[in-house]
Amino acid sequence: MAPVLSAENLVKRFPGVVALKGVSFDLLPGEIHALCGENGAGKSTLIKTLSGIHPAGSYEGRIRVRGEVASFANSKDAERAGIGVIYQELALVPEMTVAENIFLGNEPRSFGWSIDWDRISRESQQLLDRFGLAIPTDAVVRDLGVGHRQLVEIAKALSKQTQVLILDEPTAALTEQEVEVLLDILRDLRQRGIALVYISHKLDEVFAIADRITVLRDGQSIVTLETAATTKNEVIRHMVGRPIENLFPRRPGKVGETRLVVENLTVTEGGHTRLEGISFEVRAGEVLGIGGLMGAGRSELLMHIFGAYGRRTGGRVLLDGRPLGPGQSPTESIRRGLVLVSEDRKRYGLVLDLSIGFNMALSSLEDVAVGPGSFGLIDDDRERRRNEEFFQSLRVKAPGLETPVGTLSGGNQQKVVLAKALMTRPAVIFLDEPTRGIDVGAKLEVYELMNRLTDAGQAVVLVSSELPELMGMSDRILMLAEGRSGGTFLRSEATQEKLLAAAMGGEPVTP
Amino acid sequence: MSEASSRSSINVRTLAMPAALLVIGLFFALKSPEFLSARNLSMLAIEVSITAVLALGMFLVILPGHIDLSAGSGVGLIGGLSAVLIFEYGWPAPVALLAGLVAAALIWLGMGTIIVRERVPAFIITLGGLLVFRGLHWLVIHNATIPVSRGGEANLYSLLTTYYLPPVAGWVLAAVIILLMAMAAWRRSRRPGADRERIFLQTFVVAQLIVLFVLVCNAYRGVPLPALILAAVTFTIFTITRQTPFGRYLYAIGGNEEAAVVSGVPVAKVSIGAFLIMGIIVAITGFLQTAYAGSSTTTVGTLMELDAVAACVIGGTSLKGGRGTVFGVLMGALIMAALLNGMTLLAVSPETKYVARGLVLGLAVWADVRLSRK
Repeated sequence: MAPVLSAENLVKRFPGVVALKGVSFDLLPGEIHALCGENGAGKSTLIKTLSGIHPAGSYEGRIRVRGEVASFANSKDAERAGIGVIYQELALVPEMTVAENIFLGNEPRSFGWSIDWDRISRESQQLLDRFGLAIPTDAVVRDLGVGHRQLVEIAKALSKQTQVLILDEPTAALTEQEVEVLLDILRDLRQRGIALVYISHKLDEVFAIADRITVLRDGQSIVTLETAATTKNEVIRHMVGRPIENLFPRRPGKVGETRLVVENLTVTEGGHTRLEGISFEVRAGEVLGIGGLMGAGRSELLMHIFGAYGRRTGGRVLLDGRPLGPGQSPTESIRRGLVLVSEDRKRYGLVLDLSIGFNMALSSLEDVAVGPGSFGLIDDDRERRRNEEFFQSLRVKAPGLETPVGTLSGGNQQKVVLAKALMTRPAVIFLDEPTRGIDVGAKLEVYELMNRLTDAGQAVVLVSSELPELMGMSDRILMLAEGRSGGTFLRSEATQEKLLAAAMGGEPVTP
Repeated sequence: MSEASSRSSINVRTLAMPAALLVIGLFFALKSPEFLSARNLSMLAIEVSITAVLALGMFLVILPGHIDLSAGSGVGLIGGLSAVLIFEYGWPAPVALLAGLVAAALIWLGMGTIIVRERVPAFIITLGGLLVFRGLHWLVIHNATIPVSRGGEANLYSLLTTYYLPPVAGWVLAAVIILLMAMAAWRRSRRPGADRERIFLQTFVVAQLIVLFVLVCNAYRGVPLPALILAAVTFTIFTITRQTPFGRYLYAIGGNEEAAVVSGVPVAKVSIGAFLIMGIIVAITGFLQTAYAGSSTTTVGTLMELDAVAACVIGGTSLKGGRGTVFGVLMGALIMAALLNGMTLLAVSPETKYVARGLVLGLAVWADVRLSRK
């Protein structure tokens, strides 16, 4: 059978980074083809190239649709060629109805100008019926759950004679039941001859649904495997590329005096109690891990202590023996020696249009300025020397300090955020998902950095949703369950089972 | 993108504005030889100075993503207030001007506080300000014409736009400024990785322009005082935006406010600070514009806020905040002022003037968007 879509040796360069270094794969009609790879392996870039967001001419290599070389100038061209993409971030207009969204930008007209509303509601009803979706076509999208929105997206893509449907992490935000519904629908689409590219971190799903699996690593396609003839372990081995001996090189430091004390903390936001009765301590030279399921309040806890979230209705926080807050600003927290690296670096970490140097220095400008506070005069030479020092010690890969930070890869962006935090010379550092979306090499560098920090007597709080990372890099672990403490564990006694039980709100286990 | 191509694309954009200015200048010079006369160029210098001072204040407000639509009405109100204090209450001019300055600072501090702390869009609050200040202005001057001095004698207020530096003083000042610039350039060029050729060229061109400017002004009555005020304001705003944490914070807030908060930027204080500085600049512009008109009338300051916004935007400032330069704003102000001056010289009717200014604004921004996309 001839492939409906194929990529031949795609190479895509960004300033300072080669995101794709030769990716080839083909997609047969009526198959589900999974793309697997670590974060930063090039999956998102590949999708954007296949769907015309990176236009023809901006990459090397060839894309063929049904054998013909395709050169998409934009995503509309790709749509016309029958390629539809459903992104991680959904692209529906929340204020519009299901039917309006399905035909948005593609409205059927009568007399060539007047939108044919009858046809819109009739055809969207037919689309939804075809998949047995019990969603009213006149429901407003904002009232739908994430699972249903996902299905509306699929219906929207299918309204355009789509023959290739690319799904980027479609189940990231779905419940188990919703995942089942989605997978059934995808199998149904396969029956109808539509070819699907399925991208997911969850190997269970991949093995449940995919016919073939292509593994990407460091911007290259490594291998394509028949699902029936492979194992999860083999896929993982290809993804990582080498048997990694020591994934988590934690080197416990010399534990010193207590730096941060949190006692019986209760926090409300928007009239709801989000955190209740949480207590913990962090000492110099120590990494405290904080885990929990989605929505357990991990990030909220860090953000609150830092001064950027919620209202404190009980308890207290001591930093180096003196009370911190309630209601202090992040500016004040940083001045006192507490700094936060947010889980969402694009939103809370970086001014993307501005340079690496600008971003690195932002939190500690007054340290390199002479004169009163915000109106002191910045000493350019001191600022640049300091920037260069961190640029080199954190091994940021970029043409120079003047490069806009938005053009860097995830790992390098994260290094810029870390540099910004470290320049404030903090006593306590909050790291919220510091390795999210960065590749294996950069992850190891972040872990090494954590070791250096604790060696230097700083205290680290690490929030992570990945249990292996949490168990591998923390000296002690606090599990949160729905805003409450689910138990504290020493590194030596933590097991995945115990931590999960604590995260589900099981019996608190005292160390 | 290679370094060479990124540099050349910056060159295209920075040269586009001087080129546009040159075209405008040539057009008016051909249509009316009077345009390039020493007298008219001196008048133009005064007009540019007034527009540019206000535009530089607007720049500080736009950088963190706000806007000030009340600036023009404020110019009328503050200028009128000080004029009334002198003409009707007999206050000494310096005291009356100081009173106007303090009043403006307080009013803009108040507006900034409401906008930032209460999170009401600046567009709405300053639109309200536009109406309120216009009303108050007319009330203060009871719809009359209030001269800036009693009995036509010169005072500090009237001298603001009628004082010219003696020719010798002009040359001495030019020499001092060029010397300081040369010293700054020498320091910059010693830094590792500095582009010496570029620094030398920049300094050389600016020095030549200063000499030319003094030469032209001295051919009429000398360097006008507003040009010196503009120089001082430019130097201050340039230093603030380039060399202080406060200025960096303005860019950070405009670029990504949430990231600025988490980075420890005192977002509220800095944004309110920008409005406070804007108040002071509105007062300075109010004194200049009223003095230039000779007296406070109901039309002084009308639509000046739009010229200021236009100067910023033509100069490459993003209305979303986070992007723009002092140099760009100056060029933008020069373009707007030259256009108005030239058309007045050609006795173009007011209705045509409005249309032409609107078209230039639209065209300039369209061209900028096109150029920056490449």
